[in-house]
Amino acid sequence: MRFRHRLFAALAFIAPFAVLFVLWAVLIPYFDVNPRLFPHLTAVIQAAVEGIQDGSLIGHIGASLVRVLVGTALALLAAIPLGIAMGVSPVVSSFLTPLFRFFSVLAGIAWIPIATLWFGYGFGAITFVIFNAVFFIVTYNTLLGVSTIPLQVRNAAASLGAGRWSMLTEVLLPGALPNIVTGIRTGLGFAWRGLIAAEMIATNAGLGYMLFVARDFYRTEVIVLGMIVIGVLWLLLDRLVLAPLERATIVRWGMVQPA
Amino acid sequence: MTPLQRAWGAYVRLTARWPAIASIIPFVPLIVLWWAVVELGVFPRVFLPGPADVARSFADLVYKGILPEYLQDSVVRLGVGAFWGIALGIPLGILIGISQRAHTVLWPLLLFFQAIGDIAWLPILVIWFGYGLVTMTFVIVYTVIFPVVLNTVLGVRSIPIAMHRAALSLGASRARILWEVVLPGALPNIVTGLRNGLGYGWRALIAAEIIVGTSGIGFLMFDARRAGSVVEILLGMIILGILWYIVDSWILAPIERATGQRWGLVTR
Repeated sequence: MRFRHRLFAALAFIAPFAVLFVLWAVLIPYFDVNPRLFPHLTAVIQAAVEGIQDGSLIGHIGASLVRVLVGTALALLAAIPLGIAMGVSPVVSSFLTPLFRFFSVLAGIAWIPIATLWFGYGFGAITFVIFNAVFFIVTYNTLLGVSTIPLQVRNAAASLGAGRWSMLTEVLLPGALPNIVTGIRTGLGFAWRGLIAAEMIATNAGLGYMLFVARDFYRTEVIVLGMIVIGVLWLLLDRLVLAPLERATIVRWGMVQPA
Repeated sequence: MTPLQRAWGAYVRLTARWPAIASIIPFVPLIVLWWAVVELGVFPRVFLPGPADVARSFADLVYKGILPEYLQDSVVRLGVGAFWGIALGIPLGILIGISQRAHTVLWPLLLFFQAIGDIAWLPILVIWFGYGLVTMTFVIVYTVIFPVVLNTVLGVRSIPIAMHRAALSLGASRARILWEVVLPGALPNIVTGLRNGLGYGWRALIAAEIIVGTSGIGFLMFDARRAGSVVEILLGMIILGILWYIVDSWILAPIERATGQRWGLVTR
């Protein structure tokens, strides 16, 4: 019963896309749209098949994902300890909050010009852009999360004899976790956009590069294919990894009531 | 009391009286640090110019009239984009929020097109509209509209059904329900959506100006990058940060707070 319900929900989610695809397949040939303006559905499918067969599509996807992964991992390793260390002291955190707000505004794209100057075109510059997009937002949110833990909770733990380590792992980290995860989700959203923009400018592999090169040759079928791949990848990342993570931390580490 | 504590006490009292100071003072040590790093020559000056260089380039660009013009271009683009994003987004959000049928059809499409992201549209937009205002406006509208629609839907759906029924049984027409129940009830969420949307729209504008621009702050930065002038890139970043900081914390955040309190349908 439950399975049938879920199947129905999935079908209801897919149905509008099916309609869109049918419209696309019918209307574009019917109005005889120039393929330089918008591609036929068959051309896009053909581009996808070719891209998979000669491995170039997989290569671009892989290059983009590796960059996001490396940049994000480095940023998290630096941001969470720093955020907690600063959030513990209300003096330090209230003083530094404006700084981190300022830099989280600059997240991502605004770093591209200087990143390419400092690191040259390539892996370093793009990783730097992603690192910045994630680092400042996650640090800011961690700081916010730690400093909004009620003082009674920390005092209670301290008076029950919690040492520094158990204070960290049993009060500060769980208390800040919902904020941290929200920060990761926002930061990755910016990082993803920054990645596409950076790849258009500063590299010779990746999805953004694929789109931008296709534009030079008016190969709209490759552009549309790239857009669909970008959309699907982000949807998968957001729905299958980030959203469940966010829900799990809010419910499980029950210091914050679910909204 | 150590002198340090006394100084901190004075700082706290000062910021309590003028809260704006609290968002300026923390930058002083940072700038001093920046200056010190440059003076000590940790990095070559070509790669990291000092605060004085940036200030000089600021004065220079203002004097030449380039900076005010670029700034105006960027702000106008953002304004036009935001206007259309709101004008299209709020009605669409209310429609999807009220009608279950519209929700079933449009919601999956919305999620997918939001996921594509503004920047991925740039190449095909350039083919369609060329380098110019239409492309930029399209990108910004596209970015602003999704957070506005999604949050409006959330707001409309969070209005208790009892409110609808109460208004109906008191004899309100559909138009009045829309105007006096749905819109005020959803307003706090709409403003939140607007704030998020503008945050994304701002970044989209910068990306668009970097990639397809012929003027604007993003273009200033990219042009400087081509010339290898780090000073102007840093200047551009600082202006971007300050501008958004002002818009966000002095305009959008107060509006958000005001609607949250005034249209007290939503309890926090």
